[in-house]
Amino acid sequence: MPGVMERNNAHVRGPSKRAMMFAHGFGCDQNMWRFVAPAFEKDFKTVVFDHVGAGGSDLAAYDGAKYASLSGYANDVVEIGTELGLKDAVFVGHSVSSMIGVLAARKAPGMFGKLVLIGPSARYIDDEGYVGGFSAKQVEELLQFLESNHMGWSTQMAPIIMGNPDRPELGQELTNSFCRTDPEIAKAFARVTFTSDNRKDLAGVTIPTLVLQCSEDIIASQEVGEFVNRNILNSQMIVLKATGHCPNLSAPEEVIAAMRTFV
Amino acid sequence: MSSTSGPDFHDMIENAPCGYITLHANGRIEHVNLTFLTWSGHAADQMVGKRFSDFLTIPGRIYYETHIAPLLRMQGFFNEFAIDMLNAGGEPLQMIANASERRDPDGKPLLVRLALIKATDRRRYEQELLAARELSIAAEKATQEVLRLEQETSDLREQFIAVLGHDLRNPLASISAGARILDRTVQSEKEHQVIAMMQTTVMRMASMIDNVLDFARGRLGGGITLECEAGKPLEPALTQVVDELRLAWPGRVIEADFAIDQPVNCDRVRIGQLLSNLLGNALTHGAFDEPVVVHAETRDGSFELWVANVGEPIPPAAIKKLFEPFFRGKTRVNTQGLGLGLYIASQIARAHGGTLTAISTPAETRFTFSMPLG
Repeated sequence: MPGVMERNNAHVRGPSKRAMMFAHGFGCDQNMWRFVAPAFEKDFKTVVFDHVGAGGSDLAAYDGAKYASLSGYANDVVEIGTELGLKDAVFVGHSVSSMIGVLAARKAPGMFGKLVLIGPSARYIDDEGYVGGFSAKQVEELLQFLESNHMGWSTQMAPIIMGNPDRPELGQELTNSFCRTDPEIAKAFARVTFTSDNRKDLAGVTIPTLVLQCSEDIIASQEVGEFVNRNILNSQMIVLKATGHCPNLSAPEEVIAAMRTFV
Repeated sequence: MSSTSGPDFHDMIENAPCGYITLHANGRIEHVNLTFLTWSGHAADQMVGKRFSDFLTIPGRIYYETHIAPLLRMQGFFNEFAIDMLNAGGEPLQMIANASERRDPDGKPLLVRLALIKATDRRRYEQELLAARELSIAAEKATQEVLRLEQETSDLREQFIAVLGHDLRNPLASISAGARILDRTVQSEKEHQVIAMMQTTVMRMASMIDNVLDFARGRLGGGITLECEAGKPLEPALTQVVDELRLAWPGRVIEADFAIDQPVNCDRVRIGQLLSNLLGNALTHGAFDEPVVVHAETRDGSFELWVANVGEPIPPAAIKKLFEPFFRGKTRVNTQGLGLGLYIASQIARAHGGTLTAISTPAETRFTFSMPLG
């Protein structure tokens, strides 16, 4: 059986003792961090990894029951942290990994000293007195779309990435692994992502937390980000000018600058 | 178009046979061509300045934000992706698209170009493929389940046959043993005859049980299984069968002639059973005052065993059916068997890779078993 580091395709860079761990969200893999993580390599030991089922992770380690809840993913984060002996590290989670980080911080007190949550949502589905941004019906439609359209997904998953003259730094090694996801696993990950409710878990977070909120994020709206910020004891929020759901790609400088004010 | 005026770019863009949309780097729509407006039923001023994702279905939005936008940013392009847009009536418009970024010299995105092709048929085709795949998975599951049940039933049947065989043979063995004890003490010739008849009946019964059990196995379960031993001599097994039948049929002549000088790789018990069935058949149907002849030999790379009797020939129509189960020729009621003997014999022959054939003339009826030695 491969070790934790192989299972999660984890990579560590930088000599510094204090670590900064980056966790990608639904849809892509650790490549999400390639414009952000290098900026911290001088001051931190950076750790990037793929959730099991994504990117270069060990697909054989995918266990439908374990990963039917975010807790299963959080356990992996804790295992990687334990393997690396992380203490007082910074956890940077994008999208669904924000809540995975919240769970991991609760599971392993002392492992993480700070949380950076990019585009977090504690619950995507609207509830009484809570705006998640999606109705239960819409999420069900999404899941049905994924159920009934995974062939579309699988073709989407396999873009022909030949050379990339515009961005040679991306290199050829990405050709086959860029945001690659097994369609069945993508469906399961979508289900756990969009049906989870972690609102009660927020109260258990006591470490300093930074919420980075995008403008015009249709997946995690400002209300959703504010809810997270309000319900974590020691949290602050920065609203980025960046639009969309992936500022780590669309506006890395802004993300890096905001993070520097915090870490 | 005239060569002096140059290409009509306006027409090329507006009336291209594909939808063409450009987005500002912030994701808002800058321009939509006429083709897309016609397809979607939207007016240009309804779309320009809005977020592109506003014109996507919910799944389309999530896919765009989580997959397409990140890949566009990383690669600068993303080809052949499926995306569901919304028409003016709020109905999904299924499309296949290519997208590419236009960047400034520093690599900052300036705009995104999208070329969209309607993919309703293609999507339907994909969904049919998916449905077919799911059907086939379901069918495969159902087949597996049937197989599993069949295996369970088969196991149960094997157990049942084994238990039944044991339970039927035991009382027969008791009767036979009892008859042997009585045979030592009874006085009159008549009584000895009755006991001999009992032994004959016991033998016939035992042979019927063997045949029935083999039939049940062959038809319902694993077929006839062989335990071949090339090293052990076959002749004693055949002699034993002949002796048993001589004992069971006092007054009948059985002439046996064996010339087995090469090892025969066979299941000796099964070949004995085959001979017993053929011999029993010959004794039952052959002329009572004529000998039954048994001959076995190895010759020319094959083993041959035949049983011949004199008697009324088997009608040609009946010859064809001889080896079918439950076939019974015309015979006296009290010697009637189940009609399985020849069927089982033919199955044993087949299991050995050999043949069992019958030739019947007014002079002789002969059943020949032949199997290759190699």
